[in-house]
Amino acid sequence: MARYGMVIDTRKCVGCYACRVSCQMQNELPVEESYIKFYEKETGVFPNVKNEIIPVQCQHCEDAPCVSVCPTKATYTTKEGIVLVDADKCIGCKYCMVACHYGARTQDHNTGVVEKCRFCAELVAEGKQPACVSTCISNARIFGDLDDPNSEVSKAIVKMNAQPLRPDLGKAKIYYVR
Amino acid sequence: MVDTKLSRRGFIKASAATAALASAGTVGFNEWSSEYVKAGANAEIKEIPSTCNACSSKCGMIGHVKNGRLWKLTGHPDHPYSKGKLCARGHGYATVVYSQDRLTQPLKRVGEKKFEPITWEQAYKEIAEKLNKIIKEHGPQSVALTEDPRASGKFYSPRFINALGSSNYYTHHVVCSNSRDAGFLHTVGVTATSADISNAKYIMFIGRSYGDGIRPSSVQALASAKDNGAKIVIVDPRLNNTGNLATEWLAIRPGTDLALVLAMSHVLIKENLHDIEFIKNYTIGFEEYAKELKKYTPEWAEKITGLPADAITRISMDMGKAKPKALIEQSWRGAFGCNYENSTETGRAVAMFNALLGNYQQKGGSIFGGKPSLGKLNKEKHPNPKEPEAPKAGSKEFPIAYPNNGVATIVAKEALEGKMKAAIYYHSNAALGYGNPKVMKEALSKMDLVVAIDVQMSETAQLAHYVLPEVTYIERDEVIEGLSGKIPGIAFRQQMVEKVHPETKPIHEIYTELAKVCGVGQYFNFSLDELNEAMLAPTGITYKQLREKGTIMFPNEEITLGKMKELKTPSGKVEFYSETYKEAGFKPIVEWIEPKVSPADDSFRLITGKQAIHSHTQTANIPILMQITKDYDLERIWINPIRAKALGIKDGDMVELKSSEATSKIRVKLTERIHPEAIFVPSHYGITSKDLKTGQGIGFGYMEHVPFDFEKWSGAGNIHEVIVKVRKVNG
Repeated sequence: MARYGMVIDTRKCVGCYACRVSCQMQNELPVEESYIKFYEKETGVFPNVKNEIIPVQCQHCEDAPCVSVCPTKATYTTKEGIVLVDADKCIGCKYCMVACHYGARTQDHNTGVVEKCRFCAELVAEGKQPACVSTCISNARIFGDLDDPNSEVSKAIVKMNAQPLRPDLGKAKIYYVR
Repeated sequence: MVDTKLSRRGFIKASAATAALASAGTVGFNEWSSEYVKAGANAEIKEIPSTCNACSSKCGMIGHVKNGRLWKLTGHPDHPYSKGKLCARGHGYATVVYSQDRLTQPLKRVGEKKFEPITWEQAYKEIAEKLNKIIKEHGPQSVALTEDPRASGKFYSPRFINALGSSNYYTHHVVCSNSRDAGFLHTVGVTATSADISNAKYIMFIGRSYGDGIRPSSVQALASAKDNGAKIVIVDPRLNNTGNLATEWLAIRPGTDLALVLAMSHVLIKENLHDIEFIKNYTIGFEEYAKELKKYTPEWAEKITGLPADAITRISMDMGKAKPKALIEQSWRGAFGCNYENSTETGRAVAMFNALLGNYQQKGGSIFGGKPSLGKLNKEKHPNPKEPEAPKAGSKEFPIAYPNNGVATIVAKEALEGKMKAAIYYHSNAALGYGNPKVMKEALSKMDLVVAIDVQMSETAQLAHYVLPEVTYIERDEVIEGLSGKIPGIAFRQQMVEKVHPETKPIHEIYTELAKVCGVGQYFNFSLDELNEAMLAPTGITYKQLREKGTIMFPNEEITLGKMKELKTPSGKVEFYSETYKEAGFKPIVEWIEPKVSPADDSFRLITGKQAIHSHTQTANIPILMQITKDYDLERIWINPIRAKALGIKDGDMVELKSSEATSKIRVKLTERIHPEAIFVPSHYGITSKDLKTGQGIGFGYMEHVPFDFEKWSGAGNIHEVIVKVRKVNG
């Protein structure tokens, strides 16, 4: 069985927000609500400057804190490792929002349901790529099966020594090249 | 092409069905997704190929229409600009179709910014009467038409104005690439080449940022060039968002790019790294040019550009060694599209530098693309309007400018002089974007007739006597667009959803109906479908096939690299020496030209550029895009910390920014990514139209600070010839 994960190569990210907008449209989110956030890290002094843009979304943690704190088991992990939210079970208590190390969850102000990146599970089920991956204009995102050593994502992790954003905060399924 | 898919709304329904599975333990993905698909089985989803309208690239895209409503978009896999991907503005701008601020019926102005709805019949009748009266009294050259061209506009707009007897057709390029276009045109015979980025080994961008003014395939090509070890140099007073893909940033003093290119050309020749064989076979005037270049040493350029002479020498030599797989990318607006008094000459110098590298029509170099062979209407049945006798207004003043696009702001100038009496603006917010808005407003107010054709109440529409509401690009078919490139092709914009507002019309219908009432209907005696069928005829492709595929490429017509064609310059060759320039009263050889203005110790040069999420000012009213601006405070101006400190300005402070033309209040972003001499402001903000509720009041309009001006060569807007002062204020 596949175990899905992603690589984000921040050395290629130009901060164009295409992932954010395509995600919002795929998921029919209100404009104020986004599953992807962006952090900018500027280092150096003019004219020797570097600027890094780090897109952050649900990292689909192993032993995800949002899953363990959820009082109604609305948040669960599929066998393929995708962390999902059952909207009918969510009572909007925001416990998961507090527990998430990455601030990756947002609350739908109309329904009260707390949502987040779902790795576009319905597209993946059809053998397609998540919206953020397929639209990435610089191919900075790679998605696939972490358990398959021959998958593009597994090879990229090895080749580029990709690491979770914060390895100290537990095992994540999004790996970053920085 | 009907497929069933689901979205998150379906997902929420589906999750009720999966709840049992979920609570029983870890649910398998396949079980989950099958429930999910069942729950969404009632959604009918059509995938309709078309083209984007969020910028001039018009990428191929596929609209996913759910139960008759546009849901989302994906990039067209076959289109050479999108290659399966779309940028943020491409995704987001499509939501304009459901905008609350759409124009829904023809309007007539009855007072300052006051409009009343009228019927199409009344609008056509009154517009036609006024146009004909103006033409009768002042001649056809007192009428002009301006647009930001798209496929239908490119065909119908010039035809319409020519049918009225006027040659005054203009495009937005006066604030885009007029300078570059003129510089290239008189050097290599075309207004722009393209760049074979993915095969290049050494790439220099001057002000051009693939990561901000996005064509997805260009960014992919650049990323792959980087993967292949290419050197990528960004020349820009600010470290733009392509910085991540670059290997080096040259933080040049704004307005001095010409000095850099001249010095680099000097080095190539001095070090004998120019392509002598290419120069011998395909250029004229090299000796005179080389002589002029002698004085432009890297040390000379260091004083002007602020860039170290040894860096200039090193990069020039490395590019010379990497030739012909080395190039200066041709840009659009970039740093020399319309920015400085020396921009046309910078464009010329860039085209010449690429000639020194002999990179034309070479793998990894500059490419003259091939055009698809498309058919035309039968002239017997559908006569073309007579070629107007009088030359386009502005062509005498700016004989170097690319004649097809003209100098659009000449319309305003001649209106102020009382010569231009009527102006039609289609898909163009000239009043906010082309020239100083105060001057533009005054000019438009002087004319007897201004007609705006748009989808929203732009600042230009506010000043019009009549506003005609168009359907959006999501709701219309257009004229087939020919795609030039290494492999030519065609792309087709087609209707994805039913008209949202019944009283809106597509542009081809508006022109056709208005022409009839104006008495020139004989030039529009064909339908859009007939026109498209005629264009398709020689290709062997049926209209139905094109509708199904959206984009079709012609790999059999791929151009051969390595072979130079005869150029469309007077000599048929690359012209280091231009007789055309000489005849027009300009120096036939490129030389250093100072920018018009220079900042002092207590002032800055105001520079502008694109952000990846916006396009001109047309996206500022799109909530899904403007929200990004709000979330990340993207409307702020950029100031270097060293200058800010001296002025007591901290990150996030409110400042007053003052130029000769205007005063604005805006918050500050402190960043090391900007040259201390410059202040950067993104060019998308400052909407003043109260009918554009999302965009209004955010940021300021960059053009408010730009003096109304014409660059001497191409007539471009000199939009970076602006000096400003800032001071901290409360707020």
